[in-house]
Amino acid sequence: MAASVPEDVFFSSITELNQRLKNREFKTHDLAKAFSERLQRLGPGYNALALSLEKQALKFAKDVDDDLKVERYRGPLQGIPFGAKDLLSYAGQPTAWGAKPYATQVFDYTATAITKLAKPGAVLIGKLAMVELAGGGGYRMAGASISGPGLNPWDKTRWSGGSSSGSGIAVAAGLVTFALGSETSGSILTPSAFCGVTGLRPTYGLVSRRGAMALSWSMDKIGPMCRSAEDCGIVLQAIAGSDGEDPGSAGKGFYFAPQYTRGIKEIRVGLATVDVDEWADPSARPAFNQALDVIRSLGVQVTAAKLPDFPYGVLTNTIITAEGASAFQKLIESGEVDQLADPKQIAGLKAGLEIPAKDYIKAMRIRSMLQQAFHELLADVDVLITPTRPGPAPLISQPVGTALYDRPQPKDRGLTQLIPAGNLAGLPALSLPCGFADGLPVAISLVGRPFSENTLLSLGREFQKATDWHRRHPPT
Amino acid sequence: MSTRVTRRELAVALAVPAALLGQAVVPQNPDEELKAARDQVRQNGETLAKFAIPVTSEPAVHFKA
Repeated sequence: MAASVPEDVFFSSITELNQRLKNREFKTHDLAKAFSERLQRLGPGYNALALSLEKQALKFAKDVDDDLKVERYRGPLQGIPFGAKDLLSYAGQPTAWGAKPYATQVFDYTATAITKLAKPGAVLIGKLAMVELAGGGGYRMAGASISGPGLNPWDKTRWSGGSSSGSGIAVAAGLVTFALGSETSGSILTPSAFCGVTGLRPTYGLVSRRGAMALSWSMDKIGPMCRSAEDCGIVLQAIAGSDGEDPGSAGKGFYFAPQYTRGIKEIRVGLATVDVDEWADPSARPAFNQALDVIRSLGVQVTAAKLPDFPYGVLTNTIITAEGASAFQKLIESGEVDQLADPKQIAGLKAGLEIPAKDYIKAMRIRSMLQQAFHELLADVDVLITPTRPGPAPLISQPVGTALYDRPQPKDRGLTQLIPAGNLAGLPALSLPCGFADGLPVAISLVGRPFSENTLLSLGREFQKATDWHRRHPPT
Repeated sequence: MSTRVTRRELAVALAVPAALLGQAVVPQNPDEELKAARDQVRQNGETLAKFAIPVTSEPAVHFKA
């Protein structure tokens, strides 16, 4: 027992915890206290904690308890402890963006996504570590953070993935019930896959970025990292919505209603067998094949799919680096950029200021064509499926982005470029834990057309009804 | 264990570029890092220049008045 709550709360889902709070098995205050203590006790050992907000959390939790006492119910998030990537502002407290030059930065307002979670009564217990500046300049080492390298709860010699490193770790290790992360190109999906949690990258513009660090205005997204697809849907419903203060806002809301989506048997799923047969790490192939068998067994219509031919890596690199260098121009020109931990990131940001306008504009023109190509591709299939990452988490000492194994790459790219492609096209994605390779979690991703989150969550929920990978957690 | 490299092993090693193996070439100092980053920008520009697009293609940037 910790702070008057049973140990099993740390790995319970949102709906399970909320029901127990309503049943008065324990108080919100006790739950927040227990999670806060656990986050502060275990978080630093994984380099996952940026800032504890225990004092504020306990005060807020008392207010939630007052509501519950008079049966003023505010939905499934009421009383649920969560963490937020330190890319999101919290009024009056440091928001370091994972970077030394911003270690003492304080905003006088709280990010909209956090504010929206407070309304239904979710309890923010801490800010979570991240790769410095969300890795916008390109980084080589897992240690590219003021907090140090994110250590994977399944094996501390392995990386958590980034840039939402602390968010992935904290959910996997039971330090929070869910977390907010952000993705520009892979920063929710990668740590979700490596840490064995369920992560949702929403459609571009669905969740307000007010109060979030801007890395790439045309690609940044905020999204949930949770224990299940069901939990992701609950959190997304709370944080989505139009915001006049976010120029990228799509002006749309989201209502989690998987029961009203098309029947599973009507969903057309596109995949490329080369993704598993040739691209995946051999140790992970059995898990991926088993996951695809489960998907097939749900009765979906499976078809072969191929990504349109675009230079995805060059496009993401050009757009993110150009926009990021502009966002951080003052940091770069002042020389403070040299305080960053990762030399490659420093150089990448400096060189980003020198990207010719013609290159950025050309990349954005090609991006329009890419979006049209995906519009056509996703007219024929509803969901694309591929391994989120080709294998399990790499060693902390291994340079980021290098192959997990030494062998020539297959000629057919399959769907393996779906992370940069999906981000360029602004598409939603859901990463689902699907097994283990060498004792480490691996995951598959579902990607759909813009604003098709309910379809992805519905399929994800069915997958998780048929499997228990999302319920596994590391010993802590 | 022998540390000698046979000619066949050497030929194989030289025939497979580091990029194919996914191995990062790690620059040794900040100047080399910056040079590598600038080279990347230049290579990206070359790739983009080669990509043919119709004259009517507009950039994926939307401005709302």
